[in-house]
Amino acid sequence: MNLPPFLLATALLFWGWQTGLWPVACLMASVLEGARLLPWRWDLARSDFNRVSDLCTIIFVSLVVYLGATTDAPRVLTLVFQWFPLVVLPLVAAQVFSTSPGVDARIFLWSQRKKADADGTPATHTLDLRYPYFVICILAASAANVRGVGFYVGATVLTAVALWSARPPAVSPAIWGGLFVLVAGLGWVGHVGLHQAQRAVEAVALEWLAEWMRRDTDPFRSSTAIGSIGRLKLSDRIILRVDPGPAARMPLLLREATYNVFAMPAWLAVDATWSPVLPEADGTTWRLGPAGPERARVTVSASLRRGRGVLALPADAFEIDRLTVVRVEKNRLGAVKVDEGLGLVTYTVRSGARSVLDDPPSEGDLILPIPDGAVATRVARELGLRGASAADVVAALHSYFRANFRYSLYRQAPEGEVSALEDFLGRSRAGHCEYFATAAVLLLRAAGVPARYATGYSVQEWSPLERAWVVRARHAHSWAVAWVDGAWRDVDTTPPGWGEIEGGQASVWQPVSDLFAWAGHAFNQWRYGERRGNVTSWLGWLLIPLTLVLIWRLFFRRRQRRAGAASAGSEAPRARVGTDSEFYAVEDRLNALGLGRRAAEPPMVWLDRVRDQSPVAQSRVRLERLVALHYRYRFDPIGLSEAERGRLRAEAEAWLADVERPVTRDREAAPR
Amino acid sequence: MRRLLFRAFRWTWVVQQWLSRRFTRAGYLVLGGILAASVVGLDTNRTLAYQAFAFLVVLLAVALAASLTLRGRFSVRRSVPRFGTVGEPLVYKVIVANQGRRAQSGLTLLEDTADPRPSLEEFLAAREPGEERRNWFDRRVGYPRWMWLIERRRGARFPETPVPPLLPGGDAEVRVEALPVRRGRLRLVRVTLARPDPFGLFRGFLRVPALQSLLILPRRYPVPDLDLPGTRRYQQGGVALAASVGDSEEFASLRDYRPGDPLRRIHWRSWARVGKPIVKEYQDEFFVRHALVLDTFGGAGPPEVFEEAVSVAASFAVAIPSQDSLLDLMFVGPEAYCFTAGRGLAHADRMLEVLAGVEPCVGKPFSALRNAVLERYGELSGAICVLLAWDAERRALVEALRGAGVPTLTLVVVPADATAPAGEDGDPGLGPHRLTVGQIPEGLARL
Repeated sequence: MNLPPFLLATALLFWGWQTGLWPVACLMASVLEGARLLPWRWDLARSDFNRVSDLCTIIFVSLVVYLGATTDAPRVLTLVFQWFPLVVLPLVAAQVFSTSPGVDARIFLWSQRKKADADGTPATHTLDLRYPYFVICILAASAANVRGVGFYVGATVLTAVALWSARPPAVSPAIWGGLFVLVAGLGWVGHVGLHQAQRAVEAVALEWLAEWMRRDTDPFRSSTAIGSIGRLKLSDRIILRVDPGPAARMPLLLREATYNVFAMPAWLAVDATWSPVLPEADGTTWRLGPAGPERARVTVSASLRRGRGVLALPADAFEIDRLTVVRVEKNRLGAVKVDEGLGLVTYTVRSGARSVLDDPPSEGDLILPIPDGAVATRVARELGLRGASAADVVAALHSYFRANFRYSLYRQAPEGEVSALEDFLGRSRAGHCEYFATAAVLLLRAAGVPARYATGYSVQEWSPLERAWVVRARHAHSWAVAWVDGAWRDVDTTPPGWGEIEGGQASVWQPVSDLFAWAGHAFNQWRYGERRGNVTSWLGWLLIPLTLVLIWRLFFRRRQRRAGAASAGSEAPRARVGTDSEFYAVEDRLNALGLGRRAAEPPMVWLDRVRDQSPVAQSRVRLERLVALHYRYRFDPIGLSEAERGRLRAEAEAWLADVERPVTRDREAAPR
Repeated sequence: MRRLLFRAFRWTWVVQQWLSRRFTRAGYLVLGGILAASVVGLDTNRTLAYQAFAFLVVLLAVALAASLTLRGRFSVRRSVPRFGTVGEPLVYKVIVANQGRRAQSGLTLLEDTADPRPSLEEFLAAREPGEERRNWFDRRVGYPRWMWLIERRRGARFPETPVPPLLPGGDAEVRVEALPVRRGRLRLVRVTLARPDPFGLFRGFLRVPALQSLLILPRRYPVPDLDLPGTRRYQQGGVALAASVGDSEEFASLRDYRPGDPLRRIHWRSWARVGKPIVKEYQDEFFVRHALVLDTFGGAGPPEVFEEAVSVAASFAVAIPSQDSLLDLMFVGPEAYCFTAGRGLAHADRMLEVLAGVEPCVGKPFSALRNAVLERYGELSGAICVLLAWDAERRALVEALRGAGVPTLTLVVVPADATAPAGEDGDPGLGPHRLTVGQIPEGLARL
């Protein structure tokens, strides 16, 4: 199988067309096809190919690292596939410019290299890398994902050219062409079908997976676990790292969103549309409302999935500094969401004396839900909350819950037909934070105090490893916010020891996963440029001079050997007289007809044997004369005269014209 | 567990053979392209490699279908020699006749031998040479051992030979050059004619049964001219041992009749001439008889040691001139064998045939060989012992032979990485001489 000339260059240009990397493709094509025009060849041993193979590995690793650092994870693989021809180019160029027609197949694996060095045997399998490279170019072009018919047509045409050169000799072009058109058509149908099949599978799978996926904080709806039976378990994964500043009182509550309507078992944020927040001149400072005297400054480091999410803010925040995102929006219930940020954001929140994010209360903040509202009203009457001032109500609720309730992650099935909240308030007196927060909000509303339900996190764990306060998934918390004396205040009625109870649920592997989380966080910080390190920033640049040194060592200390132009390493055949005799064409034709000369059979003996067979017997030209002339041409030291030479040629051509090319048809229809 | 692995290996061997024989190099490239395209194009939204995948799969499927159109009737006649030798090319001609109505061209001839897959017992019991050097996983799973067993049983390597174009009713001669790699019987089962499909990816097969077998003789090395010491001994039976069965001896002279001579021996013509009974006198035959003792008790050691010992024995078998001496080949297989050649009894070729079928002996002690050899010490003029190790038993055998007055040339075949023990008493004339596997010709030249 011989690669037709310039097929590799065409494949490379096709790759350049699909990926848009025209200049690179032209350069690579000229490098590979330049071997056809330039007479230089290097004498490369197996150890040299080992080094070039290592160079390709280094290029591959650097490519993966570079792409991994600069693009999103799913696209990294596609880009690596796209750039793959460039990665393999040194090896193919080394083979093309070397004196050997292929590379030893043992250079690709270390174990094989060691074995080859120990044995010292010559290669049993040599691989001509140009053919796999041709396939690699086409597949890399496919990774460019240029939709349309261009890829399929180009790939089909290139494959047709390659297959045509590799076809067995006795195939008729019509059959070959017909079969190829059939293949191309069926392939088209096939790939359209594959695409449709994937769409169908995706649709089904998405429905199925949706139930299993973890949901981000939805600022419109907070589903609670109120009513579910059994043990509640949240994960230990570290979500936030917080620096609360010197003025903070721990545990600190960071709020993500607030909701105002309870529809068992969820809290909904009704009538809360988003309004954009404009940044200040520097682009990273976002003012949420009129500024006031600063009371606290909290720094939070959070990861944003796909660059968007809801921010966790302390109470009464009025400004967010150093927030590197493109869009920030807020709603009247105090939720702040961001979009198009980096994977890791570290922001500083300045909070003041009163909230500028939350709107003042409306009548929606006093509405009690139908089934559980009656319970709340009754309990409020029992506690004598009606008519008391807001501050008194809050204090009374704090003492009521602390005295009579305990924190539990486990809930038994209730007895009788009572709602979960009624069971909580009446009988079990134990639950997790959502129970306490929901009950607090309902009781406050029943007492006439406007109240909302807030979710977020509680900062209570110091990590000596990270030297920061860490917030885990199980520190997610919910509490009530109440309108007390003209300002929104956090009312957290959950018994204070709940953090330890949650901590008792921690898994044995928590220290190990914390270690990994710390390493991952440090990497993320470096990746997103938050750490102003001097070493890491120019570490990447160091690779360039190193690579140049490697290339210099590999190629320019090699001694060149200028070998012959087209067939490197072969000596010119000794000139023998008579090798251009037309008799050989006659012999080839008879061979194709099935009457060939056997090995070591003299031509005269052979002619004796086939004299009476069909095409020979009927030809006008006597082959014996032709053979006699041929003998003299080849072996007679005197040679043939001009006239005789002409006669040899003419008779041979006449015979060839007489006897047609063989066609593989049945005997009855053979040409006469 | 081993059983499961064995079955898995059997199945993978079938798949490997199918892949390597049916696919051309272009076909491999298309297979590789399909694999790569399936990896790159797993998500049809991200890349277009699924189009290439669909195209290549359809291409291969059409090629497979087109290869099924290879039809025809052929008959095959091989002219295979009776013997071949390990390591030397075996050349023979195959005449392929086209008995169909269609001319055929572009065919390739492949020879098929008997199935080289070992049985379960062989697989469990075999030990590959150098297996200790492999890592733990290879030793446990045993795949290198499997491959080595297959290689050993393969017998010979056959290249693929192109067949010239065939007219309907015509025939063509194909010259096949095979390389035997193992001694023993080589069974050729069938001839396969292959032709690639129009795209040149996949080959269609036409199988023509043609059973034939030949014997591959062991490799022989050049042995220097040996001057084996030894006196001529009385050989009971004389020349007639070679010519016929019976008890006639070599005619020496005539003498007068003495009472008691058998009447058979009277020479009637002389009586007629002389007038009194004359009797023919016979002389009993004395000639040289050497023993070639082959040690077959090497089952625990590396198999190449045994093969080389057989080769050394074969080299001596052809080198010792057998015109006027006898050579006894003695070894222990299922029973103790003694095979005699020389002086018209049998030619060295027959001894080579015997050596081609020698297997290591299991289950018998070394004393079986010792007894067999010492039984005949009275007739032996000299002995050549080809041993697989040099331990107390074998030393005892050699010393017993020497003590009985039989000069012995002792050769010990050792593995390539064996160390020479100290304190070897090397009698320069009679051994033991060490022959290292891989350097046998040099070792023999030093004798």
